[in-house]
Amino acid sequence: MKKNQRKALIIVLILFGLVLLWNNFKPQEEVDFSAEIKPILNKNCISCHGGVKKNGGFSLLFEEDALSATESGQPSIIPGNASGSEMIKRIKSDDPELRMPYEKEKLSDGDIDLLKRWIDQGAKWGKHWAYSLPEKVEVPTITEEASFSGLETPVFAQNGIDNFILRRLASEDLKPNSFAGPNIIARRLALDITGLPPNKNLFNDFNKGKIPYEVFVDSLLAQPTFGEKWATWWLDMARYSDSKGYEKDQGRSIWEYRDWVIKALNNDMPYDQFTIEQLAGDLLPDPSLDQLIATAFHRNTMNNDEGGTDDEEFRVATVIDRVNTTFEVWQSTTIGCVQCHGHPYDPFKHEDYYSLMAFFNNSRDEDIPSEAPVLKFYTEEQQKEVDKVNNWVSKNGEAHTAKAYKNFLLYQQPVYNSHLFQDFVNGSYDDHASVILWDDGSCTMQNARSDKANNFLMNYRSGYDNTLVTLRKDNAKGEILAQFKIAKTKSNTTIKVPFKAIDGKFNLHIESSNNNIPEKASAINIYWIGFLDDLPGKDKAGYDQIETKFMKLINSRTPTVPIMIENPEQMKRTTHVFERGNWLLKADSVQPMVPEEISSWNNDWVKNRLGLAKWIVDKKNPLTARTLVNRVWHQLFGRGIVTTIEDIGSQSDSPTHPELLDWLSLRFMNEHNWSLKALIKDIVMSGTYGQSSVSSPEMYQNDPSNEFYARGPRQRLGAEQIRDQALAVSGLLSNKMYGPGVMPPQPEGVWQTVYSGEKWLESKGEDRYRRAVYTYLKRTSPYPSYLTFDAGSREVCTIRRTVTNTPLQALVTLNDPVYLEASYNLAKSMQVSQNVDENISTGYEIATYSKISPEKLDALKELYRISLNEFESNKESIGQFLYFHDNPSANLAALTVVANAIMNLDEFLTKA
Amino acid sequence: MDYLERLIKEKLAREAQAKTRRHFIKECATGLGGLALSSIFMGCDPLGRPKKKTELAFSERDLNPLATLSPPHNPKVKSVIYLHMAGSPSQLEMFDYKPTLQKLNNQDCPASLLEGKKFAFIKGVPKLLGPQAEFEQVGESGNWVSDFLPHFKKVVDEVSFLKAVHTDQFNHGPAQLFMHTGSPRLGRPSIGAWSTYGLGSENQNLPGFVVLTSGGNTPDAGKSVWGSGFLPSVYQGVQCRSQGDPVLYIEDPDGISRDLKKSTIEAINKINKEEYLKYADPEILARINQYEMAYRMQIAVPEVMNINNEPENIRQMYGVDPGKESFANNCLLARKLVEEGVRFVQLFDWGWDSHGTDHTTAVDLGLRNKCREIDRPIAALILDLKQRGLLDETLIVWGGEFGRTPMQENRGNKEMGFKGRDHHGDAFTMWMAGGGLKKGASHGKTDDIGFSGIEGQVSVHDVHATIMHLLGFDHEQFTFEFQGRHYRLTDVEGEVIKEILA
Repeated sequence: MKKNQRKALIIVLILFGLVLLWNNFKPQEEVDFSAEIKPILNKNCISCHGGVKKNGGFSLLFEEDALSATESGQPSIIPGNASGSEMIKRIKSDDPELRMPYEKEKLSDGDIDLLKRWIDQGAKWGKHWAYSLPEKVEVPTITEEASFSGLETPVFAQNGIDNFILRRLASEDLKPNSFAGPNIIARRLALDITGLPPNKNLFNDFNKGKIPYEVFVDSLLAQPTFGEKWATWWLDMARYSDSKGYEKDQGRSIWEYRDWVIKALNNDMPYDQFTIEQLAGDLLPDPSLDQLIATAFHRNTMNNDEGGTDDEEFRVATVIDRVNTTFEVWQSTTIGCVQCHGHPYDPFKHEDYYSLMAFFNNSRDEDIPSEAPVLKFYTEEQQKEVDKVNNWVSKNGEAHTAKAYKNFLLYQQPVYNSHLFQDFVNGSYDDHASVILWDDGSCTMQNARSDKANNFLMNYRSGYDNTLVTLRKDNAKGEILAQFKIAKTKSNTTIKVPFKAIDGKFNLHIESSNNNIPEKASAINIYWIGFLDDLPGKDKAGYDQIETKFMKLINSRTPTVPIMIENPEQMKRTTHVFERGNWLLKADSVQPMVPEEISSWNNDWVKNRLGLAKWIVDKKNPLTARTLVNRVWHQLFGRGIVTTIEDIGSQSDSPTHPELLDWLSLRFMNEHNWSLKALIKDIVMSGTYGQSSVSSPEMYQNDPSNEFYARGPRQRLGAEQIRDQALAVSGLLSNKMYGPGVMPPQPEGVWQTVYSGEKWLESKGEDRYRRAVYTYLKRTSPYPSYLTFDAGSREVCTIRRTVTNTPLQALVTLNDPVYLEASYNLAKSMQVSQNVDENISTGYEIATYSKISPEKLDALKELYRISLNEFESNKESIGQFLYFHDNPSANLAALTVVANAIMNLDEFLTKA
Repeated sequence: MDYLERLIKEKLAREAQAKTRRHFIKECATGLGGLALSSIFMGCDPLGRPKKKTELAFSERDLNPLATLSPPHNPKVKSVIYLHMAGSPSQLEMFDYKPTLQKLNNQDCPASLLEGKKFAFIKGVPKLLGPQAEFEQVGESGNWVSDFLPHFKKVVDEVSFLKAVHTDQFNHGPAQLFMHTGSPRLGRPSIGAWSTYGLGSENQNLPGFVVLTSGGNTPDAGKSVWGSGFLPSVYQGVQCRSQGDPVLYIEDPDGISRDLKKSTIEAINKINKEEYLKYADPEILARINQYEMAYRMQIAVPEVMNINNEPENIRQMYGVDPGKESFANNCLLARKLVEEGVRFVQLFDWGWDSHGTDHTTAVDLGLRNKCREIDRPIAALILDLKQRGLLDETLIVWGGEFGRTPMQENRGNKEMGFKGRDHHGDAFTMWMAGGGLKKGASHGKTDDIGFSGIEGQVSVHDVHATIMHLLGFDHEQFTFEFQGRHYRLTDVEGEVIKEILA
């Protein structure tokens, strides 16, 4: 037996040697890790051997993990030796207990062969396509000049995009559709570029061939309505809304940011600048007001004012939201997974998340009800006073004092919020962001720093006069740093009192005493405290007036917008890794850093939000331009080149046209200098875009989601567009831009939020008919008809609105008074003659920009006839229906019914 | 309406066709059966054209996202009625009887219990507060119920108590979100949305997920507690209101008769059919379908929302208050809705936040009144479902977003004028009743003062896993892919509470 065994072993070894020899000499193609290996690993292995689970101590996510020793003590992959690699043994094994993937079907022979060859070739790790961007992409040449069918229509290929599309179509044995026709394409372009149907004159000129396609596109891009349309798309991602969210969901004044987005888009602000200003406008040298407003992008996070909530918990929640949103918006990456554990499939580690969080963890906002820091907007008159104070300080004081005064006037920072006080005696922290002290009350703030400033600032209110406030160093026995009496206030008041200059950290102990007030009555409510240098120029004439002006200005109530402001050095927070994502379980501290797997860091950048923004818009970053291009493409075609517009990474769908995505991305950065308008123009100028969307069951069957682009795009319009279009075609739409959110009619009783006295006050005059981008958006109760048409509540970043088709949508356009008013106004403009046919055709054409077909005219005429009969036989119903009209005719009522039917047609609700 | 009826028939046939496609192809190959079937389908082509060889590659769900689907496992119930007491009721005055707490009344809370704990309003060292209600063991099960709930005592043997539920959220907004979406942060779908996404609805003339509120306010967390999160918005809850239109825009404008509305929809659909002939986009067929549904919904919703057509004895049984917004009305509506095949009915009753800041929120005063408002309707709901044979196919869930402290609240570190209890997530009571559950069971125990669970503790995720189980889903397998990740209601946790399953 033993002999036989040895014999068998020798034979096996010889065979093995032969196999090895054969393997070494056989000509082999290099296996491509990203294209061939990574998909096998992701599909079969990564769920147990990835970032979350590392069964057997083996993970295939990173090269170093995959090649290092597992729990068995041996590495599972031995580069250059497939048959010696445990991984290969396991996937080939016939023992169900040993074979991988465990309890799943055996891998195909083809996959096993690929894995073996890959290991034999050295198990070289490659970067996933998403994490590297080629330097140049050649536009494919097309041998055959494809053209639209028909003689008078232009050739199909209009620009480089079409070459990529045609190559793919040819490989699928498909041909492009015909040109959509001028009236269809005019409506499509106008809706896509401006969100509204085209202006009549412009449309007629284009339709009659008086102006060429490109001029039509350019004039649409130049309209201010462009910014309003594309702002909606951006504001979904920015989670813009007019309320703070959570339980109370009180109003928030942040519309200046919405207007900033509209203006930036209309001015075609380059996307790199657009990015930098929103992420880090405050960190730019001497930022302008606009650059500060731009930072409100990250102040659109929710603010929790519910009684009893921990401000620090919700501050951390906003920081997490900012990290996640930044990566979703600019990098198509769901980094949120990494908050709790290593990324399950993309190459990010648990610590990477917190290194990213460190970029965002040092802004001044702390989830307090006032939403500080807020940028103050002074009136022209006040601004003159502000300038006087600033001039005085810069003339008489040092640069850092001038800066401190200037910033304090702009946004009242840096200050310490009262939730930092502890150790209460005869007092407590209340849930409305103030410290309450009774008679003989005290509390302490640890680790305060005044940096030798000799003024103490305090924002407070009190119902009583003559409370004595004493500030001490360290504790109740400490040195007195300031002592003063406060007066009764009408509302929150800021005072400035002399303070003993201290260097370095100290604990600030505050005492209150007033024995003329009832027991346990609030002698003082303190909201925040701060320190400021003396106003310089004490000996000069006019000092007192400047001091008075300064105090008056910082006590003035002005419109505001929440902004991002970085902590000064003395207030910097340390960022820690949270164990399993739990903010209370702090582990190692981390420094700001980006995941360099995506793109490397340049040491010239400062490690703050500005540096992060520069890393994002660095031309080497492979995700930024692709993300934007993919999403703009999605806006226009209804699907992305990478279908998963939220995710470009190892688990995302592969691009349908990878080279086109890269070509457009490189062109967007290098040739168009990040111009969004140029990118949109490129796409809409293509023959691909200009195709008819007419399809047939066969065409649909061949390509249900139109991923080869053998036909033009066809989608239901978005919530905002549907309403705006109804107002536009009925002549009701106001073109007034900007300003606070407006409240068009909505049904009674929709707003019902606890602890909030805020009401929906229906707007008057033209504000009822403003574009939907200006409609007031309350997170817990968004405008109901938009919600029905799939708009979100903007609580968190929304990359994609899922389009649905529900009966409730039909009820909106059939019964909502907004649509009836629009129908009535459309009906009025339909009354062009005595001829019903003519009237109905006119209405259809105004609404759809197409001539009506005889079949459709018949259907609407029949409806008109039935309506007219009903209204004539029941005259009372006319007045009920058109209640806002003095003496309406049966004809007008019947035409209103027809107009309403038109506004419910698929061709009206759809961009075809 | 001939044309519409034909369209409906055609749609149904198309749905059947989609269902039996595989079957159909097999039959085709065998000859006669295939012939017969194909001739039927040819007649049913909405375009009246000769049958093409290729089948259209869209599903029933493309046409109607609420089309009924079967769950992957054997379901125990078809519908869910979830009764949420927003604000969170005090388990210590209703179900969790603690005689020891009575003995310790007014004594300082032991410091060991307070260590490392955070409360919404309690400051310093609060005093313990004994139960403010009288308790007795009732029914064959002998489960404890307080005198705040006299009617409930009669149905106690129908329910399964969970006495030691815990949550890690102690503020209303996040806790309600957690209770209904499995996450304290916004953006996840609610249980009702998951249910209608997974199962569709049995009644195509009514929304599949209906929300009814009472108590004068919507829940603290707002409409997100019945939101669809990242699921398509068609699966979000539809709020049916007691005043104004029961569903927004359901009423025809004044002066428009039903006949005229019918004619309008006929005209629209006729033209949309023309559009389909040209574009062949199934989205248009879906729209045709939705307009028909809208028309039917306009009849069905006001009808089901009208409680006046219920017999007097039923109305009395619930103690309804027609024309007003009341929990009793909503309970009766809930029965009518599940009877009609609505998948998920969510009731929110506001006003349970018994902090003791005034008499309405005192556990001995206001809470008694709130209990009175729900006691009779809940007992009626259980009995009414039972007498109709519906209790076995319905799941009723009752609870708040957390429980309340055994300590008396001392807001601002002061003694308060009324007796109240603060928010408490460590241990609280919920109950379930209906199909697939033990009757008269009680699972879980709390310590002598009701501060912590000591036996049979279950988490919010466990409650969700159990609801999903009863509906026929394995909560770990029921996922939706969003932003590159498979999400599920129970996140990465949750175990079915087997102890209460029949």
